[in-house]
Amino acid sequence: MTFNMRYLDLKRKIRDVRMLAIQGIAEAGSGHPGASLSAAEIMGTLYFRRIKHDSSKPNWGERDYFVDSKAHSAPAYYATLAVAGYFPIDEIKTLRKIGSRLQGHPVRYSEQQKHHSVPGIEYSGGSEGIGLSVSIGIAIAHKLDGKNNRVYVLIGDGESNEGQVWEAAMAASKFKLDNVIAILDRNRIQQDGFTEDIMPLDPMRDKWLAFNWNVIEIDGHRVEQVIDALNKAKQVEDKPTIIIANTIKGNGIKHMTNNPQWHGKAPPRKHTPILLEELESECLIAPSIIAGERENYDEKIRKAERGGADLVHLDVMDGRFVPNTTFSANTIRKLRHITSLPFDVHLMIENPLKHIRDYIEAGCDIITVHAEACDESEFASIKESLLSKGISPGIAINPSTDIPNWIYSYTENIDVVIIMSVNPGFAGQKFIPEVLPKMVMINKKLREHGFKGYIEADGGIDDTTLQQVYDSGARILVAGNAVYGSSDIHGAIIQLRHKANVALERRLIEHASAIGIRSEWIKIRRHILIPLANELGIEGELHAIE
Amino acid sequence: MQLSSEKKTADMRGVYGDTLVELGRIYKEVVCVGADTTDSLKTKKFGDKYPDRMFNVGIAEANLVSIAAGLAIAGKIAFASTYAAFLPGRCLDQIRNAICYPNLDVKLVVSHAGLTVGPDGASHQQIEDFSTMRSIPNIRIIVPADAVSVKHLINSIVQMHGPFYVRLARPSSDILYAEESLFEIGKGNILRDGSDATIISCGLMVTRSLEAADILKRNEGISCRVVDMFSIKPIDTDLVEKCGRETGAIATAEEHNVIGGLGGAVAEASAESYPVPIKRIGIRDTFGESARDEEIEALLEKYGLTSTEIARAVMDARGRSKR
Repeated sequence: MTFNMRYLDLKRKIRDVRMLAIQGIAEAGSGHPGASLSAAEIMGTLYFRRIKHDSSKPNWGERDYFVDSKAHSAPAYYATLAVAGYFPIDEIKTLRKIGSRLQGHPVRYSEQQKHHSVPGIEYSGGSEGIGLSVSIGIAIAHKLDGKNNRVYVLIGDGESNEGQVWEAAMAASKFKLDNVIAILDRNRIQQDGFTEDIMPLDPMRDKWLAFNWNVIEIDGHRVEQVIDALNKAKQVEDKPTIIIANTIKGNGIKHMTNNPQWHGKAPPRKHTPILLEELESECLIAPSIIAGERENYDEKIRKAERGGADLVHLDVMDGRFVPNTTFSANTIRKLRHITSLPFDVHLMIENPLKHIRDYIEAGCDIITVHAEACDESEFASIKESLLSKGISPGIAINPSTDIPNWIYSYTENIDVVIIMSVNPGFAGQKFIPEVLPKMVMINKKLREHGFKGYIEADGGIDDTTLQQVYDSGARILVAGNAVYGSSDIHGAIIQLRHKANVALERRLIEHASAIGIRSEWIKIRRHILIPLANELGIEGELHAIE
Repeated sequence: MQLSSEKKTADMRGVYGDTLVELGRIYKEVVCVGADTTDSLKTKKFGDKYPDRMFNVGIAEANLVSIAAGLAIAGKIAFASTYAAFLPGRCLDQIRNAICYPNLDVKLVVSHAGLTVGPDGASHQQIEDFSTMRSIPNIRIIVPADAVSVKHLINSIVQMHGPFYVRLARPSSDILYAEESLFEIGKGNILRDGSDATIISCGLMVTRSLEAADILKRNEGISCRVVDMFSIKPIDTDLVEKCGRETGAIATAEEHNVIGGLGGAVAEASAESYPVPIKRIGIRDTFGESARDEEIEALLEKYGLTSTEIARAVMDARGRSKR
């Protein structure tokens, strides 16, 4: 099971999609943030990884088609197209304004509509329930022409109230359209409220099965699951596939999540910088499986997955670069089938170039090598191999090492920089606080050189040190003993996430203070902040607002 | 305009089916979508000849026209056909948003329009379609008057990009045109010239308009021009103006509600160019009713769609003329 998705780069681009969509909506003063935020992973994964397309040749005959049937997700769709290179990113600011190419709902591009659309948009949406039928027409035509390209159609759950969706469901199975892949953004909220209150849809899976579709159900915010589902859909013959992507409306901005109020309301423009900071601050938790009792990695991975970890961190030690030995590529290969969680593999080995092929083939998603273990030319070869296989390249440095200068010329091709906060070699070491200023400095300098990837903190991260590394710029947090040293692994991961949330909320409140909207921010955010009031020291303020 | 010299009738739908088969032979991109009415619409002939290019979606009109839209997106010329009772009404939104807004190459060809569908009654008597279709941008509306027109017009629209709505009637109708007649989308055909008034009509009302002209000639000595306005949208504004200038009064006749149909379109064109008195013959904003096939003439009479009523309308308009 290898996903070939360059995981961290994909995550980063999807983050950009969310940020652009929110900027567009705030600038327009209207639009649908909830649906844009719930569909970001779906659209991003399709456009950045799976759809056959070419932004420089939008009419390429072999392209796959994308139909945005739940077209009120237009801001995310436009943002995705912009990030994919279809039009200048700055144009998102014209969303919904007079004379804009970015209409409130997407318009099929043509010579006639060139002032109201951008190349690449195949379908005019806005009236719900139609897109699946249109996709069927496109798919039938492709079958007639003997083409093997596919039609991907994004449908909404509120949209599924429309009877036409089910007319289309019948037709697609009648015509055996294995070239139709529908993705249902199951965010469970529609304009008037929760879908199950307005017009119950469950059991959704059974409904589609009964219509003779191949059904795959996933967490629609896990890009690895989206990729896995798309791969599986392609293997099915004579049947259309629907991917039921369970999502969270408004995902990414906490006060908008699962809140029907934010179906079709724009945030005030003055909130934009804080919202962008929140989106930019997404934090990934990576339990390190060498921690805790030895071996039994299968069980540890399963527990991490159940606990809601984002990544599995695998420390490879060769007994030479570091005094200890853990496991090698063979073990990783055996563990790969257990989970679709991305494998964040940290090679603490000598001569990584020599062994890189083994790790690529083992099914790693991120591979980080040590700056101390390779020179510039070796790293250049390593990152080439990794990028060609869709693996995120990373570079790690030890606490006492300065980052080599050559790294700054590779910022576009490095997805993660691990800054060790213990000397590598053993689990359970004590956090070295001196790395914090170094982390700040390196982060700043990397950004100045165009780095868009992640800073990863590794070593001694627990709920006492998390806030400091978070504030120093780390957004991937490796947790060893903090997770596996606990008897309640699930609870430990939740606790770390809680700490990261507190750190985030503190930063956002500070940001709000700096731009003079502190009490307004606390008010709009209060249902998120109330449970954290004590830790944030804002009980009095919250009380005054209530 | 050359009219047919022999008196015979033919079935518009049968000719539509045959024409589609012929078009299927010439154009590989012609495909057809049906909705459980392929036998009635005679598109079954196309399906028998080209089974790969015929798609029956069952009783699902919204799906019918939206799938046609998808086929057009992928480069096909898609004919979508079913009863007029359901196609423009049931799926008006889909026609507007999925076909007309993106200006796709979808040809909506419906049959069994108007009161003459007969025994099925008002639920099946489509008398609002001109009105609804006219107000949607990009789509053009064609109403052939006989089987010869059907053949020519279907051949014309297949060569023109974009959406069309073509309305056929259920009964066999008189052949009016000679085989070699010419039709141009956006132009009306003057079937008989006259100087005292003009009757502008479409579909099955064209025959009755010619009869009305005969009556007027015979009884009143009035020379009446008769125009087949098969292209309701775009309408031949120049011809409407010309008829106003040259004959001074206009009557219109259509198997449709008087609101928003051919009469409305003619009145608009006339009012904005060379206003003359106009009298519209059509269904007076009411629903129809069942009538057995042999009672169709009685049904039309009951709802005022006869040559006598058209003649009366001409007299009414002439009476108000300042000439």
